[in-house]
Amino acid sequence: MKTRTILIAIIAFASILTACQPANGGGISFMVFGDPAELAVYQTLVAAFEQAHPDLPVELIHVPGQADYRNRLAADMVAGTPADVVLINYRHYAAFAQSGALEPLGPYLAKSSLIQESDFYIEAVEPFKWLDELICIPQNISSLVVYYNKDLFDQAGLPYPADDWTWDDFLAAARSLTQDLDHDGRTDQFGVGIEASLIRLAPFVWQAGGEVVDYDANPSTLTIDSTKAIQAAEFFFSLQTVHHVAPGLDEETAEDSESRFINGRTAMFFNSRRGVPTYRESAAFDWDVAPLPRGETRAGILHADAYCLPGASKHKDAAWTFIEFANSVEGQTIVAASGRTVPSLISVANSPAFLDPSAKPANSRVFLDTIPYIHALPVHFNWIEIEDIASEELWRGFYGQTDPLDALQRAIQRTRVYFTENE
Amino acid sequence: MKISRLPKTLASLALTGLFILPLFWMVSASLRQPGLPPPRGIEWVPSPLVFSNYTRIFDILPFGRYVVNSAITSGIGVALTLVTASLAGFGMSLLGKRARLRLLLLSAALQMIPVTALWLTRFLLLAWIGQTNSRLALVAPAIMGSSPLFILLFYWTFRRVDPAVVESAKLDGASLLQIWWKIALPLARPALMAVGMLSFLFYWNDFISPLLYLRSQTLYTLPVGLLQLQEMDRTNWPLLMAASVVMTLPAVGVFAALQRSLLWWDE
Amino acid sequence: MNSLARSRRLQPYLFLTPYLLGALLLVALPAGVSFLIAFTRYSGMGRPVFVGWQNFQWVKTDLLFWVALINSLLYILMAVPLRLLGALGLALLYSRPTRATGLYRAAVYLPTVIPDTAYALVWTWILNPFYGPLNPALRTLGLPAPSWLAESAWALPAIVLASLFQIGEGFVVLLAGLRHIPRETYDAARVDGANRWQTFTAITLPLLSPWLILLSVRDVVLSFQSTFTPAYIMTRGGPYYATYFTPLHIYETALDGMHFGEAAAVMLLVFIVTILLVVLLYNLAEGWGFDED
Repeated sequence: MKTRTILIAIIAFASILTACQPANGGGISFMVFGDPAELAVYQTLVAAFEQAHPDLPVELIHVPGQADYRNRLAADMVAGTPADVVLINYRHYAAFAQSGALEPLGPYLAKSSLIQESDFYIEAVEPFKWLDELICIPQNISSLVVYYNKDLFDQAGLPYPADDWTWDDFLAAARSLTQDLDHDGRTDQFGVGIEASLIRLAPFVWQAGGEVVDYDANPSTLTIDSTKAIQAAEFFFSLQTVHHVAPGLDEETAEDSESRFINGRTAMFFNSRRGVPTYRESAAFDWDVAPLPRGETRAGILHADAYCLPGASKHKDAAWTFIEFANSVEGQTIVAASGRTVPSLISVANSPAFLDPSAKPANSRVFLDTIPYIHALPVHFNWIEIEDIASEELWRGFYGQTDPLDALQRAIQRTRVYFTENE
Repeated sequence: MKISRLPKTLASLALTGLFILPLFWMVSASLRQPGLPPPRGIEWVPSPLVFSNYTRIFDILPFGRYVVNSAITSGIGVALTLVTASLAGFGMSLLGKRARLRLLLLSAALQMIPVTALWLTRFLLLAWIGQTNSRLALVAPAIMGSSPLFILLFYWTFRRVDPAVVESAKLDGASLLQIWWKIALPLARPALMAVGMLSFLFYWNDFISPLLYLRSQTLYTLPVGLLQLQEMDRTNWPLLMAASVVMTLPAVGVFAALQRSLLWWDE
Repeated sequence: MNSLARSRRLQPYLFLTPYLLGALLLVALPAGVSFLIAFTRYSGMGRPVFVGWQNFQWVKTDLLFWVALINSLLYILMAVPLRLLGALGLALLYSRPTRATGLYRAAVYLPTVIPDTAYALVWTWILNPFYGPLNPALRTLGLPAPSWLAESAWALPAIVLASLFQIGEGFVVLLAGLRHIPRETYDAARVDGANRWQTFTAITLPLLSPWLILLSVRDVVLSFQSTFTPAYIMTRGGPYYATYFTPLHIYETALDGMHFGEAAAVMLLVFIVTILLVVLLYNLAEGWGFDED
């Protein structure tokens, strides 16, 4: 008799511990990605929101890596338990939009008294329209810029990058800044850090006068093997393969380029606005941003993520209250002040919260000046796979494992089927 | 006699050193100061020696919570496994030859199925009943004793029990459950310890389940905590090693306590 | 009396219920669902749509699937025999209990105890071309010191290398197997004048072969999942798919591409390949049947 009691007790105890779930007392959950410094930004935003709305606690969920974030979101969507508010990049939201997994926010925005569509930069809003309906509210209109270590430029006796500097100017600076400081045959300081991926190559292609896809609105193939695109790719790859101003594969594996920049061992680093909170916190040197060096023309690439509301959420109105707050003048000012975004609200972008020269980077105006020249990548439901596969091939080209033309052609050939595959 | 043993002893010592190396390097690297340039040659003991990595991991992540979650999940997993596996092994040992053979074949077949072929559909099934993002998803395998191997370990142990003991207990009027609890289990202490240790490691190490199922950071266990840390600071080796040490120590501790039962199984 | 006897006879089955029920819910049911979904197009959201053999046709032409399968097979070819040899050698070395054997056995098992994620991370450190201790050691020995996880040719061998240290389970099983060989057999062989090699090949090896086969089969089956964590943590399938294994392919197909139907098709194929490999192994060893051991 006693045995059975013990058995039941064990199982009951185990069940209780198992069933104990975190309670979510009537609030909402907000899933974010990024470094700890970026997380701190969202924590500030959430704190401000909770002060204004004490009855709506917000649970912050942090998935640092972007790829992990996407997988987590996908798994949650499948499980029917996504967070109430999620951040999705314009290049990644199409698959969810196509499945109808996202609640279109256009109608909510139309009824809002705090914000309206015309308050936002149109370049940030347009990519988030799916079948003419606004799905998500963009939080930023960031683009690719060059972060540079002013101290290293000073040490090398170089002038800081000019607003209209060209590819040649850029390469010359990079070469002067790549040095073997202790003369042991190994480069200790690199001029450039740049990720070998499609989104980093794209602005170079546009600047050379080429195109990334055939039709933006309904792409069927990558077109990065045109003469102009090849020129751009050759320049891009040569940074590593020929001029060695960017780390080779060994060096990148030992210490990735961004860490290298933060630790003061790389002079220039290509990144979007995302890096600012981390650099403010961890970079022990003086730094600023410069626009992309110009090719034949000026061109920039759009980096925009947006607040989205999954259709499976059970707290849609509360979620919208938060999304509205985050994208109101008050919310965007808070986030802008911490450096994370180039605000998508025109008024906030032109306010001291973003432009204040005493907050690094002093030259934030660069992000706004680029807007007229910004290109967006196509919005396609298979874009994640297309980008991943193309980037793998470009990676090989960048690290000299194959010649530029071969890398580009393989990228085109391998991604072709994903443009039309309907899943 | 002793001299001829020397080469074997030397070889054994060398091998022992070799197998200890991974753990050694984990600890050594965790005491390194992050952000430094590469060392010249092999650095056995880092200089300067810092302990700050250990405090930092608790600063940037709720690492303490992850440790507790891992402990709770493993605890539940072990408790349930010991109960279900020993019950199944005991039941199996009492059956007739044909039934036993069929069950052995079944267990062998179950062992043969790669978990890879089951992950995603298990995920879908749990999603359909709304039980993802829960501890249940993590300890679900414990319902079936976590692994057919554990069932077999208990089965082999109970087969060694003298049937006469069981018979006389039955004649005394004891129910099978009581026999299991009062007679069989005490005789199976080595199996209990071995399965206890192996199942603890099974749940403590489990990476794919929390990766697939857990959304709430309040439920995160150490494996995904480590992944989070890696994503935050991919090449901050000392930090990652410190977190690895924190995750490894309890496993090594359990091993140290219970290893005799596993490594000296038949003695 | 009769009903009591019958209930007594049924009680052992009652004890087996959690196990059998669990096997049904956690193994049979998911396997069945896998089988069904493999013939549908299913993004995880929305409803599955029946598409017949389409997923399998896609898989046939999908380069990534073949890369993943070949990588997994290469891993099995390299890791399984080496691990088995290592476990066997060590079990033979430490089969006699002496005072020191306790320490030696524990040392052999120690790396197996290190959690998978931590183990993958420590090897990422050890194999690091500039920071890790392995390359300087290789250089002093005059051996080549490649960039391991950064080089397509060396990344897979690097993961195999890491797996060679985690042979605890095989070690324990073979220790048990050796223990089962009666001393009299060895004594008889010595009386017959057999030397150590002959003893090994004529007695030890044949008596151990059921265990060796069991271990190989188990290792082959495990290889289809044990490569997930190292590949995910150390290289995420890179460089350029060198460590892109089947479990990672399944995971990314489902959660990156949202193609659950295709992922299920791959899972089914993995299952079939596993069965084929097991059958092959049994045939190679000329069919050792199941017995009580």
